Amino acid sequence: MNIDLSSFKSLFTDYTELRCQENNSLVISFFKGNNTTNTRLSTSGVSARVYKDGVWGFASSPEANADGVKFVVTAATDNAAFLAAKERQSAPPLPRGAVVVHHDPPLTTPPPSPEQLVAFLQEIDRYIAGKYPNLASRTVTLNRTELKKALLTSDGASAFSLHTRSLIQIGLTVEHDGAPVSLQEVFGGRGRFETHFPTPDTLYPQIDQLYEHLMRKREGVYPTAGLKTCILAPELTGILAHEAIGHTCEADLVLGGSVAGTKLDQPVASPLVSLVDFAHTALGEACPVPIYIDDEGTSATDALLIDHGILKGFLHNKETARHFQVPPTGNARAFRYSDEPLIRMRNTAILPGKASLDQMIASLDDGYYLMRPSNGQADATSEFMFGVTLGYEVKNGRLGRAIKDTTISGLAFQVLQTVNEVSREFKWLSGGMCGKKQLIPVGLGGPALKCQVMIGGR
Amino acid sequence: MSTKELNTYALHALTQSGAEKAEAILTRTEKTEMNLENGALKLIRTTVDHHLRLTALQNQRRGSLLLNKSDRSVVDAAVQEVLAIAAAAAPDPAHDIAEYQPAKTFNKGGTAPDLDLMYQRFKTFTSEVAAEFPRIVLLNAHLDFTRQTTCFQNSNGVDFTVNQGGYRFAVTFSAQEGPGSSSFNHTGFFTLDLDEELLNGGSLRILLDQANRGQTPRKSPGKFTGEVLITPDCLEDFLHFLLEITISDGPLIAGTSPFRHSLNQLVVSPRLTLACCPVAPEISSGYFITSDGYEAQNATIFANGVLKSFLLSQYGARRTGLPRGANDGGAFVVTPGDHPLTVIMKKVKKGLLLNRFSGGAPSPNGDFSGVAKNSFYIEDGKIQYPLSETMIAGNLISLFQSIAAVSRERIDFGSALLPWIHAHGVTISG
Repeated sequence: MNIDLSSFKSLFTDYTELRCQENNSLVISFFKGNNTTNTRLSTSGVSARVYKDGVWGFASSPEANADGVKFVVTAATDNAAFLAAKERQSAPPLPRGAVVVHHDPPLTTPPPSPEQLVAFLQEIDRYIAGKYPNLASRTVTLNRTELKKALLTSDGASAFSLHTRSLIQIGLTVEHDGAPVSLQEVFGGRGRFETHFPTPDTLYPQIDQLYEHLMRKREGVYPTAGLKTCILAPELTGILAHEAIGHTCEADLVLGGSVAGTKLDQPVASPLVSLVDFAHTALGEACPVPIYIDDEGTSATDALLIDHGILKGFLHNKETARHFQVPPTGNARAFRYSDEPLIRMRNTAILPGKASLDQMIASLDDGYYLMRPSNGQADATSEFMFGVTLGYEVKNGRLGRAIKDTTISGLAFQVLQTVNEVSREFKWLSGGMCGKKQLIPVGLGGPALKCQVMIGGR
Repeated sequence: MSTKELNTYALHALTQSGAEKAEAILTRTEKTEMNLENGALKLIRTTVDHHLRLTALQNQRRGSLLLNKSDRSVVDAAVQEVLAIAAAAAPDPAHDIAEYQPAKTFNKGGTAPDLDLMYQRFKTFTSEVAAEFPRIVLLNAHLDFTRQTTCFQNSNGVDFTVNQGGYRFAVTFSAQEGPGSSSFNHTGFFTLDLDEELLNGGSLRILLDQANRGQTPRKSPGKFTGEVLITPDCLEDFLHFLLEITISDGPLIAGTSPFRHSLNQLVVSPRLTLACCPVAPEISSGYFITSDGYEAQNATIFANGVLKSFLLSQYGARRTGLPRGANDGGAFVVTPGDHPLTVIMKKVKKGLLLNRFSGGAPSPNGDFSGVAKNSFYIEDGKIQYPLSETMIAGNLISLFQSIAAVSRERIDFGSALLPWIHAHGVTISG
């Protein structure tokens, strides 16, 4: 990352983005008490993307030096020229926004050493093993990541951005009637390890809580399949906002026929629901994945998708913004140096309401309280699904038996119409990764929602 | 320095710097990719990358470093760092590296893409789809040629070189449906050459034809326990799920696998014979060496329902005392059945043609639930209508124990060879 991109601007002949990037991560894992993984990963390099007559050329090289830059600019320009000559399209130039310059401050103090981190995780592992000997298995995994990007565009935008994330994942497994039952949770989020985890014992109350949930899940029952009234905890609402609405509102999917394309300025949700893809700051605080400038050099702005139930907009890169004749929102993002920018969410959240979560549960006669999500998927029809690894029956306003792992689904724009309570409690899910061709870190947030969804079961 | 020279240098530096055991793997990758977006060819992408993975063992402490640089000065610094990572680790007696095997070089596929032919095949594909399947919307597609050279060496004398190249095509599509579109679906395949038109590859023509029919999707009729006819696209996912929760490192080391005491016992339906065949001639992609440094061999997993092999790594085998797997899994080849798909379809009384499963990761005990995507309701042996908002739930192990038939036809994905499977006992709710 010690390369001055500005010295290569003379190589640009068409609209060009030149990006130098370094992704670093450290993974340390204990599995059933054994230190199975101690791995540092580092990938870095340079890439260029060139736009010509409505088509793109892209090239990347791991050599982040003058030769590497010359190679990627030349190869990307040649690729664009090859395709432009074949396709013979004509397209107006991409919109030019204000020239943006953004520089995050670099890290100044070194992070904890691998030796300190191994000892830290080992202490957590020993706590779990000592306190809960009935567990069949346990995992304790640290994943510390650091993404550094430098960007220069032919329009004059320039940036250095730095994103760090520190996560510890705890997984517990117990056997019940000869079959395994598991539960896991991710702790931490944006920022440095020592900020989130000053000492191992700061995690113990949360591990104890995770174990208590596992003991109840061990006795869990299958949910009754079908359409049910459910309270989605904030952790699930974040996934709902991302999978069910966010993807449907990505302008490239809209151009591909997403159902959202026909609903602009129409009611798509209860008036209690407002949804925003935040750029960097939300509700007075920095978001889990703050983006100040995207990988096309656009200044990142909040994208209001749903305003009190009305669909108000989409997520754009420069090309789709030109198509829809709106300003670009700064949603063009790439994960690795060798990835081309795609329209991606940043920090997608449903805004908090006025109800209290306790009152929402107390007012539910028969349904489910769904607390922890796993993976999710979306569709252009707005049909979504995501896994639920922890939940409880709610009977007559009280939490009942835990339920086994399940999946919920529905058509987002129908499900959101059924929302009749929104909690004031709000939470970001900070360990999220979205997989749309490339993996990328995202923030997902929301309050608790009471709504009707399809639940899988027996 | 050549790939081999640099890798040899890195391994030598690790042992000279004090590693008791060491491993160096260097992969150079060149990829050329054409991308289509919303029906139009939009991007050509050329990427060059290196991956160097260094591993050191010292007093049974293991450290690894993965970086994408391949010059000597970077390697020198990386060697010192990986030794420091290993020194910081906690000891684990199960860590080791692969034993000596004779040196070998493996070659497969081409060395460079034919860019003009890639373009020509892509354009023919889009025009054929437009002509034959007018309702289809091609959301995105990419055709890439990837060439990799991998050198795998360790301090026990393992010395493998792999040169491999081929084309991969992947498509995501939907169908026009009123003012909007149907659910999207995706498929793809791997091929060593572009002799055939892309539309003839994998299951593309079948899936595009189904999506193009244009019936309005509906929910399944209420909740019932029914049958599923699992398509080859969907079967690959289900097989990965099944093997992951039963015969891989995780559940076997944890001691929670339901198959942990079942080697050479009947564990799934006798109608299922499954092999992982990374070096079989019918698998165009595949791999020649395992991730822990053994020459990969084809392996039967289930022979007429009997468990014949675990898929344990060297670490997993040493930790459990069970035999190491002959490969890393995948490259599935399922032995075809006796009956054509049309005959099997007629035997389905009430259930689904399951084209795609969109669900949460299955539980460690095999329970699964999710949405039946791009799927069809079957009653009295006939496809009735496409489904929407329909969920399925069941148990993977029970599902594979309940197989009623395996089709004679198989789809060749280049990376797997798979039939349709008829099974029972899935809760279906719409």
